[in-house]
Amino acid sequence: MAMVQPRNLKYRVWSARIVMWLFLLIILFPFFMIISVSLRTGNFATGSLIPQNPSLEHWYLALGIPWENADGSITQPPFPVLTWLWNSIKVAITSSALILILATTGAYAFARLRFRFKQQMLTAMMILQMFPAVLALVAIYSLFDKIGDYIPWLGLDSLGSVTIAYLGGMALHIWLIKGYFETIDNSLEEAAAIDGATPWQAFRFVLLPLSVPILAVVFILAFIASIAEYPVASVLLQSMDNLTLAVGSRQYLNPQNYLWGDFAAAAVLSGFPITIIFLACQRWIVGGLTSGGVKG
Amino acid sequence: MAEVRLVNIAKSYDQGQTWTLKDINLNIGDGEFIAFIGPSGCGKSTLLRMICGLEDITSGELSIDGEKVNDWPPNERRVGMVFQSYALYPHMSVAENMAFGLKLARAQKSVVDERVDEAARILQLQALLERKPKAMSGGQRQRVAIGRSIVQQPRVFLFDEPLSNLDVALRVQMRQEIARLHRRLKTTSIYVTHDQVEAMTLADQIVVLSPLAQGAASNLEQVGKPLELYHHPANLFVAGFIGSPKMNFFDGVIEKNGEQETHVRLTTGETLKACVDTSKADPGSRVVLGIRPEHTLAETDNGNAVDGRIEALERLGAESFIYMGHDTIREHFIVRVEDSLRREEGSKIRIELSPEHCYLFDANGVAFRRTRAPEIDQ
Repeated sequence: MAMVQPRNLKYRVWSARIVMWLFLLIILFPFFMIISVSLRTGNFATGSLIPQNPSLEHWYLALGIPWENADGSITQPPFPVLTWLWNSIKVAITSSALILILATTGAYAFARLRFRFKQQMLTAMMILQMFPAVLALVAIYSLFDKIGDYIPWLGLDSLGSVTIAYLGGMALHIWLIKGYFETIDNSLEEAAAIDGATPWQAFRFVLLPLSVPILAVVFILAFIASIAEYPVASVLLQSMDNLTLAVGSRQYLNPQNYLWGDFAAAAVLSGFPITIIFLACQRWIVGGLTSGGVKG
Repeated sequence: MAEVRLVNIAKSYDQGQTWTLKDINLNIGDGEFIAFIGPSGCGKSTLLRMICGLEDITSGELSIDGEKVNDWPPNERRVGMVFQSYALYPHMSVAENMAFGLKLARAQKSVVDERVDEAARILQLQALLERKPKAMSGGQRQRVAIGRSIVQQPRVFLFDEPLSNLDVALRVQMRQEIARLHRRLKTTSIYVTHDQVEAMTLADQIVVLSPLAQGAASNLEQVGKPLELYHHPANLFVAGFIGSPKMNFFDGVIEKNGEQETHVRLTTGETLKACVDTSKADPGSRVVLGIRPEHTLAETDNGNAVDGRIEALERLGAESFIYMGHDTIREHFIVRVEDSLRREEGSKIRIELSPEHCYLFDANGVAFRRTRAPEIDQ
């Protein structure tokens, strides 16, 4: 259908395009800066966007390969960046998976079951979530210090402790999934119950497959939050080999010596797992999954 | 196949402060087709959901095949249900939808395939087995929903207003398919509807429910065969509910009572004769006289007639309905006539009420026995 358009439409479309391109440039500029810094010779934060003497020095060091300088001297990689990256991925995948499991079952209870103080609990969760985790750092530190006396792999300076600490940010996810569950007609699970399904089977075979889009979104959100998290990890993790990439990158920034080039290479590296997870989950984020099931 | 027995079934959502259903007693025989009918809010769907276990039973006893099933969860009751909203699993194909229950029960694949194929054949769904629900029409979806309960071979079929979401032509067709299905499978069926045509055409027995009035003992108004409800309604509620357009009611008092005939004086002074047995009532007691629109005769006068004025006309082609004003009538006095071309709104008209078609109810709404109405086999 061709709708009648005003005559000055072309002009308005073009001006909208220009504004959007400008906006895009502003958004992307910091990203290009980081890539540029990581490819510069030496560790300089300022300089032209296109490096004059491009060098892979920082990337070699970030990937753990010794770098041979122009004068023939060898620079050894100062930090185990790939180990940090691997730590980050382990923590992010485990905590996101646990968040998904707990938030989904929790959301099911809030969306489908009847129990006392439900509304109060939902509100309380939301309010508690509003306090930044940073404020609880002391508590988190001493808690895991104590837990470590009994369960060493959950104590201070263990990836287990960070993973568990990240589960705290779940209230938002519960709200998100609960909202999605409530859009799915209850009669589907009732039909499943009459077909002989136990409540668990109705949840597993009917509700969950229909909720895949929101589960993918929650997984991505939890994954990104976990990769980028700094304060909690910086307090709980201490030894060099246990750091996550976000905390480890800070090691490049010494008071007298900011290694911006190495830092930039590590920063770009931390973007890879997020990109891969996002591309992998994208195909699950589709609309119309529940259409056709019920009418009315 | 099974018998279903309801003994003193009651339902309250707030620990007995208000009741939705009260004192429901029913015996549904093996292979019978029962319809629950009533206006919205009468609890007919709630009653159905209690039978399948989606609502708990506040008090009373429900048994299927002689076993008390009050505390059984829905998945153990072995009943099939067809929802008004279809409630198909949108992520599964038609075949998967129908096989879902059997797969949960870990039935052998050969059994699953055989039953799904048979259900598809009965419901003419063979060509659609691989489709997803969203690629089907409303009628097809409802057929899948019926198929899904057929493959389970349930002891009782429950239908919760299954045709309400379909358009009129499809509704008539699906109604006949459900009737054919019941003749073929002979499974005990309970069918909830607010459409009396569906209830009258499908059911062996109809259960009429009313919204529970304050202090009423029960909201089960009458159980009977379709024509029994039409010719011998137990009370004013059933008389007003069965029949379309609804029965006309006049307020009056008994002038002369009798075993075969009763004379009723309307408050306007007109006297009408009705073939009902009022030998146990006293002259002078207040009554309500009822006559169905299809039993009135316009412009004939055998002495049993009332005068009125035409307020509105509805011309439907095959028949017309005249809405009349009359001083003692509750709401409108509706008269069915074959044609109304010569009549005009505002003109006066005399309507005959043939005595053998008159109904009479006492002040509590309980019907007197009609003496010249057709007897229905019990």
